[in-house]
Amino acid sequence: MSGWTHVASSTPLSLARSFAFGLLQAAVLLAVAPLLRGVIKKMKAAFQTRQGPPLLQGYYDLAKLLRKEPVRSETASWVFVAGPRIYFATAVAATMLVPVLFAGAPLEQAGGILVLVGLLALGRFTLAIASLDTGSPFGGMGGSREMTVAALAEPALMLGLFTVALWAGSLNLGDLVRTTAQRGPSGHPSELLAAAALFIVLLAEAGRVPVDNPATHLELTMIHEAMVLEYAGPDLALVEWASALKELLFMTLLVNLFLPLGLAASAAPGAIAVSGALYAGKVFFLAVAVTLVESTNAKLRFFRVPELMALSLGLGFLALAIRFL
Amino acid sequence: MSQNLVILCAAGMLVTAYLMVGQKALFVAIRLYGLQSILLGVVAVAMAFTDHRPHLLESAALTIGLKGVFIPWFLMRTIDRIGIHREIEPFVNTPSSLLICLGLTVVGYRVSTGLAAGGEGAAHHVIGVSLSMLLMGLFLMVTRRKAVTQILALLTIENAVFLVALGATSGMPLVVELGISFDVIVAVLVLGILVHRIVDRFESMDVSRLSKLKG
Repeated sequence: MSGWTHVASSTPLSLARSFAFGLLQAAVLLAVAPLLRGVIKKMKAAFQTRQGPPLLQGYYDLAKLLRKEPVRSETASWVFVAGPRIYFATAVAATMLVPVLFAGAPLEQAGGILVLVGLLALGRFTLAIASLDTGSPFGGMGGSREMTVAALAEPALMLGLFTVALWAGSLNLGDLVRTTAQRGPSGHPSELLAAAALFIVLLAEAGRVPVDNPATHLELTMIHEAMVLEYAGPDLALVEWASALKELLFMTLLVNLFLPLGLAASAAPGAIAVSGALYAGKVFFLAVAVTLVESTNAKLRFFRVPELMALSLGLGFLALAIRFL
Repeated sequence: MSQNLVILCAAGMLVTAYLMVGQKALFVAIRLYGLQSILLGVVAVAMAFTDHRPHLLESAALTIGLKGVFIPWFLMRTIDRIGIHREIEPFVNTPSSLLICLGLTVVGYRVSTGLAAGGEGAAHHVIGVSLSMLLMGLFLMVTRRKAVTQILALLTIENAVFLVALGATSGMPLVVELGISFDVIVAVLVLGILVHRIVDRFESMDVSRLSKLKG
């Protein structure tokens, strides 16, 4: 426990302690991620005056899937088996690079923004090639769609993150959050533009409505669901869990980069409680925003998605350009 | 603190202008305009408090009530009545429009540094944003096909002019404010009627058809 106090003063933790802290943070986020999806589903249902599934449905589903035996196609090779595992592992590794409750990330010495983006890209890539492995047309179609969206979302994500990084003069997420927390709101328009760009990226990466519909299994429209259509049992559970974690990760990134208010500077229980409550509030606020977008917009036709991503990319470029004007 | 609020809202206006360029649903565009006007009202309120200019509160109330609520409602009602296809069909495709608007924003920001009040601080951003919005409004006006979207572009320009007035001067007297507001209302009402007439005659809001001799 005493090791955590060093996080704020940015003295490097010992490697073992960093790992322990990182694993703990990943475990907490993994435990919370399905709840976030449940909350969004519940709020969406309330919009449609339905009752919706119970908040904990995500956990029941995961438990059920994990108990089942995996069913794999006869033609599936090791790539198919490795896909969900690497996807899950990269998502867990990515959470260790991101500051959540503390003004510092557990493994921040391991890398910053570029490693984070790279890890997420690696996970997506393995899942996409795994979807091609069985030779089913749906998997290939979903994989191709997912990569199309990702290729457009990734530069926008990088531009948004770089805009914030310019303020702190560092690509390290821990440094970044510490600087923004000390300085307070910058009072520069580029911050809002970058936040808007990253919000659109969040919608795309989480497979939310204007880009993808998480609730549908209609073959013609789905993107992520089509890619993982062949998976069953524990394999599917890993994919679902990692996707939920990724969504929470993006929300965490967004709230902590642009509103680092109240992040704990030490491991004192009081500071953690305050930071935890504020974090939950901020993520909930973002979840409400996502729900509003999902409930008031129709899913875009697939060929319109690049236009939305161009908008996000444009906002990112603008944020970066205005920074220098 | 309220300096930050001013800049945040001005940036929000720029984002709404950008979203207006980037999406195609007519109703969303109108709601975005309403949001933009409300943000403009918030800028005016914040400036009224920081610079002790209480008369700005009145123009803020006018802006929010009229441009934030009444005009969007009126435009939506007009569209409902004439029952047109609710999609914006621009002459220039979305990605190119976005790129062009990006360039316009850079130009607007660059030009604002040349103005006496636009050199630094909050005024720099406010004037930069408003000049960019002005240019984007002009761009929207020449690239949009439908009469209603052209009205929206005109209103965006009007918002931009109001914002530049807030940033560069100590605000206009109330009489001028009132005059402008009534001008805007009358313009929207007249344009609403004009849209009805265009639709009556050509069964479409597409203004490019106006240049053809036969319908």
